[in-house]
Amino acid sequence: MSEFLSLEDLTLAYGGSVAVDRLNLAIRQGELIALLGPSGCGKTTTMRAIAGLLSPRSGTIRLDGKDITRVAPSRREVGLVFQSYALFPHLSVFENVAFGLRLRKEPDLAARVAEGLATVGLSDFADRAPAALSGGQQQRVALARSLVMNPKVLLLDEPLSNLDARLRLEMRMELQRVQRETGVTMVFVTHDQAEALALADRIVVMRGGAIEQVGTPEQIWTEPASGFVADFVGFETILPDPETGGALAWRPAAVTLGSGPHSGVIRGASFAGAHREYVLDTPLGVVKAETPASAPPLAPGAEVAFDLPRERAVRLASA
Amino acid sequence: MNGRLATWAVLGLVLLFLIGPFFIIIAASLSAGNSLAFPPQGLSLKWVVKVFEIESFRASFGMSMFLAIFGTLAALALGVPAAYGLNRYKVPGAEFVRTVVSAPIIVPGIIVGLALLRYLVIPTGVGIGSALFLAHTALILPYAVRVVSASLENLRTDIEEAAVLLGCTRFGAFRRVVLPNIRGGVLAAFILGFVTSFNQVPVSLFLSGPGVRTLPVDMIAYMEINYDPSVAALSALLAFMSVAIVFAAEKFLGFSKYV
Repeated sequence: MSEFLSLEDLTLAYGGSVAVDRLNLAIRQGELIALLGPSGCGKTTTMRAIAGLLSPRSGTIRLDGKDITRVAPSRREVGLVFQSYALFPHLSVFENVAFGLRLRKEPDLAARVAEGLATVGLSDFADRAPAALSGGQQQRVALARSLVMNPKVLLLDEPLSNLDARLRLEMRMELQRVQRETGVTMVFVTHDQAEALALADRIVVMRGGAIEQVGTPEQIWTEPASGFVADFVGFETILPDPETGGALAWRPAAVTLGSGPHSGVIRGASFAGAHREYVLDTPLGVVKAETPASAPPLAPGAEVAFDLPRERAVRLASA
Repeated sequence: MNGRLATWAVLGLVLLFLIGPFFIIIAASLSAGNSLAFPPQGLSLKWVVKVFEIESFRASFGMSMFLAIFGTLAALALGVPAAYGLNRYKVPGAEFVRTVVSAPIIVPGIIVGLALLRYLVIPTGVGIGSALFLAHTALILPYAVRVVSASLENLRTDIEEAAVLLGCTRFGAFRRVVLPNIRGGVLAAFILGFVTSFNQVPVSLFLSGPGVRTLPVDMIAYMEINYDPSVAALSALLAFMSVAIVFAAEKFLGFSKYV
C-alpha cells in the first residue's frame, strides 16, 4: 500500500460549527502536497488535526500504518512550521533548533543541530537571538527546528505568505531542495494558487470544509473539475453549456476580441504590462478577456465583437 | 521665558512636595536630641544604632519580611496559574473572576481588616498570624494576576504549540517556554507585592495580637509611647531599602516595562 498518511472520514469542528466534513485523503511517502483554498475552507484546520493540535470529532488519521487519531501531538513524529514561525524568543538559534533534541536526550546534540543549521544555510547564526534575524532567516530556523527531529510528515502553514517576492522564490526553491534531500513528506497550506502550482507534487483544492479536487498541478491547471477550481486557476469566464447541460470555462487569453458572433460592452479596462485586461458586459453574462499589450487599446463603453471558441474551453460538469 | 520659569517653579514645588519629607526624615533621624524634631538638634548616629537595639522592631521586622516574601510567593503560586488560565482559555465568567481578584485593591484596607477580624478570626478561631498571612496573600494577588497577565498578553501562544510538537507535555511547554518568557513580569509582580505587603498598615492593624505585629504597626505603637528619633531613623532605613530594591529591579530587569 502506498498510502503513508491517510485521513479517513475526518470531521473537524470548533464548538458547534463543523469546519471540515468527512474528508478523505491519501498521501504517499515523500510527496509534497498543497492544501489550497480560500480562507475558511478548512485547510488550516485539517493541518492542525494532522499535527494533533485539534482532536477530530470523528474519523481516523493514519500515519505509516499506525492509527494516530488519539496520539498526543508530542508523540506523533509530525513537524509543523508555523506561519509566524513561533520561535522561542528566550533561546538562541542553536537552542531553538536543539529544543526537541534535548527533550529526546539526543546524544549527538551539537552535531545534529549543526547539521540542521547547515541544511538551511544558517551555520553562522547559531548564537544569535531570533529577534536579531530577518523574517526569512527566522523561517529557516523554524524549518531546521522541525527537520532535525526527522519527522515523518512536515507541515507548513502558509510558508511563503510572510515573505517578499524575492525571498518567496528563494524559499520555494529551498523547500524543494530540502524535500529532495531529506525525502520528508510535506504538506503545506496556502491560499495562493501560483504557490501551490509551483511547489506541490499534488494539489488538494478545498472549499467549505470539503475537497473540491485532488490532482497534479497540470491536472488542476488544465482540467479543473468544477467551476470553483476553474475560477481559482484563472478560468474567469464560466458560462452554462446548453449542449451538455454542464458549463464551459475560458481563460481571458482564450477569448477572441474584435471578431466573432457575439458582442458586448466594455465595462472595465486595465493595462497589466504584458497584456491588457477587459471586463465585458454581454447578453451571455460577464466575460473576461485579454489582448496583447501591442494591440490597440479599447475604451470602456465601446461595443466590441468577441468569440468564445469551444475548442479553447474546458468542460465542467456544472457551473 | 516667563512661562518657562513658571513651569520650572511648579515642577520644583511638586518635587519638593514628593521628595521633601524623605529629606526631613533623614535629617530628623540624624538628630542628637531626644525627641523627633526638624531641624535636628545636633548631629549623631545614635538613633540609627538604637533602631537595631529595640527588640520589638527586630521581631516585627522579621514578621514583615516573612509576610512580604512568603505572602508574595503564595500570591504568585495562585496568581500565575490564574493569569495563565484567564489569558489562554475561554473561561466562563472570566471578567467576573478578574473583578473579584482585583477587589482587595478597591475595597479599603480598613474594611478588609475589620471583616477578616470579625468574620474569620473571631468565629472560626483561626490564629491571628494565619489570618494575617491570608490577608496579605489576598492583597498581593491582584498585582500578581495583573502584572503577569500583561506579560502573557505580549507572548505569542503558538510557541506553546511548537513546544508541544517538539515533544513537550502541556505543562512542560509552560515551564520551558512560557515561564522563561514571563520571568520579568513575575519578578516585577514579586517586587510590587513585596513592597505592597511591607507597607501595608490598615489590614495589619486589625490583625495584630501578642507576638503578631508587622513593622509599620509596631512603629505606630512605638511612637505613641516614645516620641524619639528612632522611628525617623527606621523610616529612613526602610526608604533606602525600597529605593535600593526598585533601583536594582530597574537596572537588572527594566522594571518600568512591566508596571
